Amino acid sequence: MKILLVGMSHRTAPVEVRERYAVGSEKAIAALGKLLEHPEIGEGVLISTCNRVEVVVTTEECGEADPLLRRFFHTQLGGQVEPSGADALDEHLYAYSDREAIRHVFRVAASIDSMVVGEPQILGQMKEAYRNAAESRSCGPILSRLFQRAFATAKRVKNETRIAERPVSVARVAVDLASQIFENLAEKKALMIGAGEMIEMALFALQREGLAGLRVINRTPAKAEALAAQFEASAHGLDQLDEVLLDSDIVLSCIAAEEPILGADAMSSVLKLRRNRPVFLIDIGVPRNIAAEVDGLDNAYLYDIDDLQEVAASNEEERHRESLGAERIVLEEEERLAGWMVGLGAVPTIRHLRARAEFVREREIRRLFSRVDLSQEQRKGVDALTRAIINKILHSPLARLRALDEHEEGLAVLKEARALFGLDDPNAPGAEVDSELALPEAPPDSLGRSDSSENGNS
Amino acid sequence: MNGFQQVAAAIYLASGLGALLGLALPAIRLRHAAAWGLSLGVVIQAVALAQLHTQDPVPSLADLPYAISFTAWIAVIALLMLMWRFRLAGLAAAIGPIAFLALLLPSLGSLPGGESALSESGPVPHAHVLLSAAGLGLLGISGLSGAFYLLEHRWIKKKRVLHLGSMLPSLEALDRVNVATLAMGFPLLTLGLITGSLWIEVDADPLSMSARHAHWTLIAWGIYAGLAAARFMGRQSARQAAATAVGGFVFLLFAVVGVEVLT
Repeated sequence: MKILLVGMSHRTAPVEVRERYAVGSEKAIAALGKLLEHPEIGEGVLISTCNRVEVVVTTEECGEADPLLRRFFHTQLGGQVEPSGADALDEHLYAYSDREAIRHVFRVAASIDSMVVGEPQILGQMKEAYRNAAESRSCGPILSRLFQRAFATAKRVKNETRIAERPVSVARVAVDLASQIFENLAEKKALMIGAGEMIEMALFALQREGLAGLRVINRTPAKAEALAAQFEASAHGLDQLDEVLLDSDIVLSCIAAEEPILGADAMSSVLKLRRNRPVFLIDIGVPRNIAAEVDGLDNAYLYDIDDLQEVAASNEEERHRESLGAERIVLEEEERLAGWMVGLGAVPTIRHLRARAEFVREREIRRLFSRVDLSQEQRKGVDALTRAIINKILHSPLARLRALDEHEEGLAVLKEARALFGLDDPNAPGAEVDSELALPEAPPDSLGRSDSSENGNS
Repeated sequence: MNGFQQVAAAIYLASGLGALLGLALPAIRLRHAAAWGLSLGVVIQAVALAQLHTQDPVPSLADLPYAISFTAWIAVIALLMLMWRFRLAGLAAAIGPIAFLALLLPSLGSLPGGESALSESGPVPHAHVLLSAAGLGLLGISGLSGAFYLLEHRWIKKKRVLHLGSMLPSLEALDRVNVATLAMGFPLLTLGLITGSLWIEVDADPLSMSARHAHWTLIAWGIYAGLAAARFMGRQSARQAAATAVGGFVFLLFAVVGVEVLT
C-alpha cells in the first residue's frame, strides 16, 4: 500500500484558484465518502484551509490514483467548474507519493510549509481534517498512523526548535499593518467578522494593543457573544454590519461565505458617512469575504490572505535557521514512519512465506503417507516433527522480518527475503498456493516505485 | 554665508542622512540622534541669523537667499515641534538635505537680491518677509507631508509597505501634520500677503517685478484658500488633500522664488 498526496497550496495557486476548491467540514466529509467509492482508494483525508487544499490517500497503484484525485478536485471540490488558460487546474496541482508524501504532511503539520512559517493554526486545521476523515470512516490504520506521527512531529518541532517562539500570526501582521495607517491604535476600534480560531487570535492580539473598542459580528449571534465575552468586546449579528462598520477603523473578516459579504458600493457609502476616515480591512476568508474592488476605494486599505505572503517573505531569512532544525526533525520522523510502513509490508510477506512452507510440508507429508503405511500415532509424530522443523528453520528469518519496523534498511531486507525464498517466482516450490492467497506485491523501493519485474522470474 | 551657517548646514545634512540611515538599518538610536541633530542645527542657525546683525552693513532679510534660509529655519522648527507628537522620522530624513540646500543658496550667489525687487521702508518689509517666510515654511511641511502621504498610500495599496517596516510616519500622522501646518501656514501667508500689499508701491507698470510677484502670490493664496475651504469643510479625502498640498506648495514656491529667479 502506498501513500499519495495531490493538492494545491499558496505556493502553487493564487487565492482566486484556491477558493474554488476550498470546502468546509460538511462538504469535506461528503466528498471523502464519494472518493472512497473508488476501489483504487484505500483510505483518504482531505485538508482544506485558507492556504491549501490537499487530498491524502492510500492506494495500491499511484499511477491509477493520481488522475483519479485530479478528477476529484475537478468534480467534487471544484463543482465541475473547469478553469481554463492560465488557471488550468493541473498547473496548480502537485503530487507526492510515499516518502515524499510523508515528508510533505510532516512539513505542513510542523508549519514549515506554511505561508507564515511557525504559525500554529495549521496544526488545529489538520487535526480537524483528521477528525472529519475519522468521522466519515475514511481514515484507516495507515493514514491514522501518518497523521498521529505528523502531530507528534509538530510537537517535537515546537519543543525542540524556536520556530514557534517567533510566530508571525495573521493577527500580528494585522497590527503591524494597522500601525502604518493609524498613528495611535489605542484610539481605534476594531471589528471582527466571524467567530473562529483566527478571529479569536486576532482579538487576543488587538486586545494587547489596547484598542478603544472591539466588536465581534457573526452569523450566529450566540457564538459572537461567547467570543466577545472573553475579550470585553461587544457582539452583533451579521445584519448589523453596516451600522457597526461606521465607526470601525480596523476590520478583520474570516467567515464562511460563498459570496463577499461586503461589496464596494456598500463600503463606499460607509466611507462617505465616516467623512472619509480611513478603514483598514483584512480579509482572511476563503472564499474571500470582502470584494476585491473595495481596495480601489480611496480610504479603504484591503489586504487578503495572499497579501500576507509578503510578511512571510520578509521574515523568511530570519526563520530559515530555525526551520533547518525543524527539517531535521521532519526527516527523522519520516524515517521512522517509512520504517513502520516497511514493517507493515513485511506482514503479508511473512504470511506468504508461512503459507508456502506449510503448503510444501503438507504436500510432502501427503506424498509420504500415500507411499508408506504408518499408524495414526506415527502420522501424528511425523506431522509434528515436520511442523517443528519448518518452524525452526523459519524462526530466524521471520523474526528478522518482523523486526524490520523502524529500520531504513528494512525495505532492502524485505526485497532480499522475497527473492531468496522465491516468493515472487511462480515456479518456486509451493507457488501453487499463491492462487488461494491474497498475494502481497513486491515491496516498493525507497522512492515508492514498485519493481516487481526485477524480482519476477529470476 | 558665515561660519555658523556653514556649521548649521552641515549638521542639517548629517541629521538628514542619519535619519535616512536610521530608517534603512533600521536603528532607532540613529533616528533619535537625527532629531537632536536637527535641534542643534536650529540653535546654530539662530546664532548665525543673530550674527547677521553684527555685520556692517546689516544684510537685509528681504534678500531672497536670506529669506529662503529663514524659511528653512522655520520649517525645521515646525517639524521638530510636530515630532514631539507624531512619528515623523521619514520627514526628518527629507528636511535635513532640504535645509542644507536652503542654507547653501546664499553662498552660491545665483539668486537675485531682495533690494532689486523690493525697496525697504521700515518694519513692514520685515513683517512681510517674516510672516511670508513662516507661512512658506509651514506650507512647505504641509507639501512634504503630502508627498510622503502619496508615496506611502501608493506603497500600502501596492502591498509593499512591509519592506519598510513601521518606521515611516503613519498615514494618519501625515494627514494630521498636513492639516495642522495648513491651519497655521495659511493665516501666516495671508498676513504676509497683507503686509506685502502695504509695503509695495503699486506700480503703474503691471509687468514690473513687484507687480508680477504680487499677482502670482495672490493666485497661490487663492489656491490655498480653496484648499483650506475644501479641507476644513470635509469635502476632501486625505489623499486628495495631500495631492493639492503638494501642488499648492510647488505653485507657491514658483510664485515666491521662481518668478524672481526666472524673470
